[in-house]
Amino acid sequence: MCMRKALGMSLLAAIGCLLPAMGGAMAEEFVVGVEVPLSGSLARVGTGMSEGINVAADVFNRKNGKHKIKLITVDDESSPAKAVAAVEKLASQGVVAIDGGYGSGNIGPASDAANKAGLVYITSGGVDEALTQRGLKTFFRINNTAGYSKAMLGLLSDMGAKNVSIVYLTKEATSDLAKDVEKALVAKGVKVTMHAFDPSITDFKPIINKIKLQDKPDVIAMSGYENDYVGILRAAKVLKPEVKAVVGVWSLATSKMQEDFPDLMTDVYGTALLPFPAEFTTPDGKDFAESYKKLYGKEPDYLGQFGYVQSQLLFDAIVRAFDAGTLKTGGIATELRKSNRDTLIGRVQFDEKGDNPNFSHRMGQHQGKQVVVVWPKEYANGKMIFPGVPW
Amino acid sequence: MTELVLQALWSGILTGSSYALIALGLALVFGTMNVINLAHGELVLLAAYVAYTCESAWGASPLLAIPAAIVIVCIATALTYGLVGRIRRDRELNSLLLTYGIGIMLTNGILLIWKADIRSTKSAWLQDAIVFGPLYSMRSELLFFAVSAALIAGLWWWLTRTWAGRAVRAVASNRDAAQLMGIDPHRVEFVSFLVAGLLAAFAGAAIFSIGVIQPGLGISLTIKAFIITVLAGMGSVPGLLVGALLLGLTESLTTTFFSSALQELAGMVLFLVVLFVLPNGLFGTRWRRAH
Repeated sequence: MCMRKALGMSLLAAIGCLLPAMGGAMAEEFVVGVEVPLSGSLARVGTGMSEGINVAADVFNRKNGKHKIKLITVDDESSPAKAVAAVEKLASQGVVAIDGGYGSGNIGPASDAANKAGLVYITSGGVDEALTQRGLKTFFRINNTAGYSKAMLGLLSDMGAKNVSIVYLTKEATSDLAKDVEKALVAKGVKVTMHAFDPSITDFKPIINKIKLQDKPDVIAMSGYENDYVGILRAAKVLKPEVKAVVGVWSLATSKMQEDFPDLMTDVYGTALLPFPAEFTTPDGKDFAESYKKLYGKEPDYLGQFGYVQSQLLFDAIVRAFDAGTLKTGGIATELRKSNRDTLIGRVQFDEKGDNPNFSHRMGQHQGKQVVVVWPKEYANGKMIFPGVPW
Repeated sequence: MTELVLQALWSGILTGSSYALIALGLALVFGTMNVINLAHGELVLLAAYVAYTCESAWGASPLLAIPAAIVIVCIATALTYGLVGRIRRDRELNSLLLTYGIGIMLTNGILLIWKADIRSTKSAWLQDAIVFGPLYSMRSELLFFAVSAALIAGLWWWLTRTWAGRAVRAVASNRDAAQLMGIDPHRVEFVSFLVAGLLAAFAGAAIFSIGVIQPGLGISLTIKAFIITVLAGMGSVPGLLVGALLLGLTESLTTTFFSSALQELAGMVLFLVVLFVLPNGLFGTRWRRAH
């Protein structure tokens, strides 16, 4: 009896020792923490990213026959302190990595907290250069200021702009981008006038009037968010400065803006990954669009696409780390660093700082009820209407 | 340069009048009850979302949505008063905490119902440019400038020329003495809250017509209204108009001659300078002496 018991115990111990090594052969449910702003000032963008993350999990769970992804989402309420608390809470719940984050000011402390907990933090919500200068081995992002700047400069160059007025919000990401664009344009001999504005501004007419009467530019470039664009364009529509084009960045060349503010969007440019109506030609793109429509009953937007891509890369890295038996020993970061694949936002690789050096955005233009990608040429599905403004 | 200055002054006046409209309700409740209603901005925002719903669901102009906004916001203010009125001790401090909490609940309620997207009127008529020589504005700005002036005049008339208004001032001046004179302070305070709700409904329609709304906007509206109320001097309706116009003009001139990035700072400097020179606000002392 004793002998049989000892044998049984030995067998159990052997199985226990072999289990981790056999990880690759076993089905596993991975718990991923999602820290996003679902309330507060960043609620809209946070919700958009969260939708993309949920779609990525849905696609993964349908396509990957073996493993499952389970998401635990915590609202960081658009506050840095709450973002840190959210990451710490998720870490205590045993998540294997943190996905999400919006706003460089929130992502900075939240990714620090994730690093302290030994967790990978991946995002597409913060483009501040300082985020990748901290030497964190666990921080990854798929987009950056350079990619937005490249797109805006490319378009302005195609337009042959000689005099540009840049109107920009005094937040880190928006002012970083404006200053990058200014530097590059000045180096090319373009005359640039900068107009910073505070987030609390409600009336843009004094700024637009200065542009109209003093700057007299070819193009007005905007670096801000949706509410700022609406304010700027409304003021411009009232004052009617003699410019040839109005160019913005994120959240502008979207179907939502066309639907909500049709009279303000005519011929306006903004960054756009895809045209609208969206044309998904790759199998990955079709999976994304199909799942997005199924889950949310609407056309996917760029926030969803970014959230989807970052999550897709993370989930793949988790599986590879699990297969290699390094899931709990920093393997996810190692596997993410090996990523090199085509995604919905182009090829993604990570450098030693966790940044994606390949990132380059595309520029779209509102044309009628469509958003047409007009830059770069290889992704363009139409020609730009130039000159063209909403008034 | 003249064109630039004239437009800056015109923009400042229009912005100031919309600030006055937003601050009226908060100033009334602060003046009568010594209660800083930190949910005031959210009540204004609630009215703005009612206007949005009326426009998006039935195609109604934000102006036509004002009666519906009045009903809904007055119900919300009545409920707020129902809670604030139950505070028996340290009313100033406890009402601050309570209304802050109500504000958070309203913000999240708005977020749940209307989602986080930005909203603004689609009415081209309201956004049309109205030009007087070198002065440019949207029709909605002019319209609500007139509404703001009418409401300020109406409120001043109500407070100074009607029995109900005098009762409000009596309670504000000395609650116990007013009670001894046969005035029911609870009733008067309730009426003040309802009038504040009515004013918030107009302010909500204005911000939806002129600018852009989103669920997180409430707190910044409250802060702006509070600054103007203190700047004006407690209980002073004319002071409120002057304070709001001063703030609007300071912001607009700062944007024109320096940078828009400094406009918030300029507003705060104005606020501090006025309080340093006139600790009771622009019209506070005079108002107190007169009563």
